[in-house]
Amino acid sequence: MDKLGGVFNASSPEMEAMVDLTLFIIIVSVAIFGIITIAITYILIRYRRRSADAAEPRQDFGSTKVEIVWTVIPALIVGVFFFSTIKTMYAVNPPFGNKEPDLVIIGHQWWWELLYPKSGVRTANEVHIPIGNKLLVRLQSADVIHDFWVPELGPKIDLIPGHTNHIWLSASKPGTYLGACAEFCGVQHANMRIRVIAETQEEFDKWQEEQRRIPPSPTTGEAALGAKLFQEKACTNCHLTGVGPDLTHLPSRQTLAAGALENNPTNLAKWLKNPEKYKPSSYMPDMKLTDAEVNAIVAYLEALK
Amino acid sequence: MRFNARNTYMNKNKMLVSFFIVSESIFFLMLILAYVNFHRSVTDGPTAENSLNPIKTGIFSLFLLASSLTIWFAGKSLQRKNHFMLCIWLLLTILLGVTFLFGQGLEWVGLIKQDITINRNVFGTTFFTLTGFHGFHVTVGLIMLLILLGLAIAGDFRGPESDAVESVSIYWHFVDGVWIVVFSVIYLWAFV
Amino acid sequence: MSRIPLVPEITEPLPSIRESEGLLTWVASIDHKQIGIMYLIATLFFFLVGGIEALLMRIQLIRPENDFISPEVFNQLFTMHGTTMIFFVVMPFLIGIGVYLVPLMIGARDMAFPRLNALSYWLFVLGGLLLYFSFFTQSGAPDVGWFAYTPLSEKPFTLNKGPTYWALGLLATGIGSVASGLNNIVTIITLRTPGLTMRRLPLFVWMILVTSFLLIFVMPIITSAFAMLLLDRLLGATFFMPATGGSAILYQHFFWGFGHPEVYILILPAFGIISEVIPVFSRKPIYGYEFVAGSTVAIGLLSLGVWAHHMFAVGLGNVFNAFFAIASMLIAIPTGIKVLNWTATMWGGKIHFATPMLFAVAFLIEFVVGGLSGVAIASPPIDWQATDTYFIVAHFHYTLFGGSLFAIFAGVYYWFPKMSGRMPSERLGRWHFWLTVIGFNLTFLVQHLIGLMGMPRRVYTYHDLPYWGDMNLISTVGSLILGLSVIIFVWNIITSLRSGMPAGNNPWKAWTLEWATTSPPPVHNFDLVPPVNSRRPLWDLAHPDMPDK
Repeated sequence: MDKLGGVFNASSPEMEAMVDLTLFIIIVSVAIFGIITIAITYILIRYRRRSADAAEPRQDFGSTKVEIVWTVIPALIVGVFFFSTIKTMYAVNPPFGNKEPDLVIIGHQWWWELLYPKSGVRTANEVHIPIGNKLLVRLQSADVIHDFWVPELGPKIDLIPGHTNHIWLSASKPGTYLGACAEFCGVQHANMRIRVIAETQEEFDKWQEEQRRIPPSPTTGEAALGAKLFQEKACTNCHLTGVGPDLTHLPSRQTLAAGALENNPTNLAKWLKNPEKYKPSSYMPDMKLTDAEVNAIVAYLEALK
Repeated sequence: MRFNARNTYMNKNKMLVSFFIVSESIFFLMLILAYVNFHRSVTDGPTAENSLNPIKTGIFSLFLLASSLTIWFAGKSLQRKNHFMLCIWLLLTILLGVTFLFGQGLEWVGLIKQDITINRNVFGTTFFTLTGFHGFHVTVGLIMLLILLGLAIAGDFRGPESDAVESVSIYWHFVDGVWIVVFSVIYLWAFV
Repeated sequence: MSRIPLVPEITEPLPSIRESEGLLTWVASIDHKQIGIMYLIATLFFFLVGGIEALLMRIQLIRPENDFISPEVFNQLFTMHGTTMIFFVVMPFLIGIGVYLVPLMIGARDMAFPRLNALSYWLFVLGGLLLYFSFFTQSGAPDVGWFAYTPLSEKPFTLNKGPTYWALGLLATGIGSVASGLNNIVTIITLRTPGLTMRRLPLFVWMILVTSFLLIFVMPIITSAFAMLLLDRLLGATFFMPATGGSAILYQHFFWGFGHPEVYILILPAFGIISEVIPVFSRKPIYGYEFVAGSTVAIGLLSLGVWAHHMFAVGLGNVFNAFFAIASMLIAIPTGIKVLNWTATMWGGKIHFATPMLFAVAFLIEFVVGGLSGVAIASPPIDWQATDTYFIVAHFHYTLFGGSLFAIFAGVYYWFPKMSGRMPSERLGRWHFWLTVIGFNLTFLVQHLIGLMGMPRRVYTYHDLPYWGDMNLISTVGSLILGLSVIIFVWNIITSLRSGMPAGNNPWKAWTLEWATTSPPPVHNFDLVPPVNSRRPLWDLAHPDMPDK
């Protein structure tokens, strides 16, 4: 069942609260649907015209009493549902007061910029969180409206230019949780995917430390040539200015191009050679690199552990 | 319950115009809401306070208000079957309306010369849109009034009733009413 | 007791389109029956186009990482499919069939403003042409979704001219819709035949009346949003551009301020059709007429105050969300009342399963599914999972297809004899019906599940996650069956027009005034309008010993 993901694998207290409410309404809805469908089926069978006889049945115009009964009952059901809704809403989205965010996410067409203000870590597309902690996330957008959605962990929330949003993010067990951008944001909306890696506090701290470390620029071999090309081909114009994702520690991530490809050197080479094939119309240009140049840059990026 | 569907107190033409102005009011309401929404968020550049002249626009507004009076008199003349005065009052209404539009034009030209345009900032955007659509509705009204005047001069509208005159009248009062609201929101609210 | 003769049973065919004189008569017509039929023909055309757009999308989604269609084209397809089905199929069909039926049902000779009626139709056609012209331009059709959220739909994010055509086309058709709303209101208030009080109006007319009020109140909202969007795009205004002081959220408020009442505009006339069909084929009057009419007014009013349930994920705060949640849940109550009234109408009746009734009963069941999923997503915590996923796609297809479109099919089969003078084929009707029910549910039921499993909407492809491929495959197979059902439907219309059985005045033994004249009606509609002393004048005539009170 867990394999189905989404609501079938609630992995945080927020999501569990939401799933409880969802189950409640599903059960009530199925019951209502069942009653109505059975009633209609019964009526269709019992009251079907048996022969083309001309006699009309008894003409019944209605009953005010009946109308009142079947107005009040739905109203009561709605009332119950509304109160459960409010309770769950405040459980999932309690006010955050003046708390500083633990993670800042800035949406771009079609990648996620991630900043951890408390540690200064800056990365892209792959969120790491320690389990058992309720983190406050601030969400903004650099261009159009996006939406951050990791179904197994909690609600979705829009990233809107000119408006700042906050949600609480937590995971109760370690794992890799997949998500997606859930507001149509242009041609590669489908490939703006998210990964949340929930890990123990020790593993998270280790990850943060590694991310904060600035890897030394390679000085020998193909990687050094790649480092030079990275400057000459003006990759830095996007990848060091925030226009494109930060590539430091790229090898530590599970995917490339916000989920378009699994992250390994072969795929990285394929991506560099022909980005159009794997994420058509994304803003990564085809830099028209020769195979040798591609290999050098791959070596450089792979060295940025 | 006795009922006659073809009774004349439910005049279909006037009913149409009345419901139409209800619909148009919502359109203007949306433009006004947009203006109000952005009013306080203009931090730099032109704003209502530093760009507009409520006195000058107020004077031209009086011309528009007066035109509501003249069209009311036109209605009275129609009822009294005074065809000549009907034409005069219609003509005056048109002249007053044109004067108002002329004032609007002067104001727009003045603003544009100072580089205050629709794409300058949210004030420019909302100001020109709101006053522009109002001016457009005034223009349509003037065209209808001209048609009425032309028909009247050619001999029509002998009175005491005319759906066409009364309907255009309702529309013209609406256009005037919208201006009172727009003027209050843009000019009075900024300066009071 | 004197008997008032009904008009004699002559079937008079409408002018054939092959006569060149005939075609000109149609194009220049201001007769509400011809205009109504032109609406229906045009919407059928757009329905086929919108359906092809859907099929292409479903084929692209049949398996993960498919490359049948590029993302650019896919994004144009979903934008055009939504826009077409809403503005160029369901809305004009319901307006068109209203234009045909309302004067007949109230015993009038035409609408209050026949020329305005024709203008509405031609504006609708112009709007469709403007919208579809975009496919032929270099940059292609709009590709920003049928709600065209800003700033995506503005420069610099969309340099393609598509959204401009979109806004212009919808503006044109929108002005026509306001004119139709005004025309309907004045017609219904002033042109009813003597004896036809408001409390005796056929429910279809009541629904058209409430819908018309909704139209005149909410079309101006979207008109203003389009005007502002066009000013932003064409003149560099900054209503919705956050980078220069504008507000993306304001656009959403304006859009949904229109958009939500719009879905009630799309469903209320459908409710009207069902309210006419179920009683006739159960041989009983509608159960609780006052409550069905009254709950319609309640829905109309409530619908103006629920728009932000489309914005629960925008982050507008718990209090704001709570208000819109309760308002949206409340609207389920008058809607539920109707379903119960329709069901009670069938109780104790003698149900005749002709094709109109098959679709009407299926409507009830499908619409309940759509309504229940709607109550679920009225709750913000549930919506925070479901919004912008295939769950929502499932929800609105159950209400708009299983709801409005099924009612439309019921209406087509029900009034086809009146409009054409011929009976539609029952055999083909049943094939159409069953293929539709099977195809529709196969396509959309599974989408509830895949949405909750994590598939967002408006994606041209997806990764090979567990069962995603299988479920999308089921959905695509369902859509192909639906395609087949539409072919049968069109075939039924064509062959029945050519060689269906002559229908006579009142083949269904119905009770409202449109059945008191020939099929099709003469140009002046009625030679003689029967006396109206109750809600069912023809019942009273057929049963002088037990007339309705």
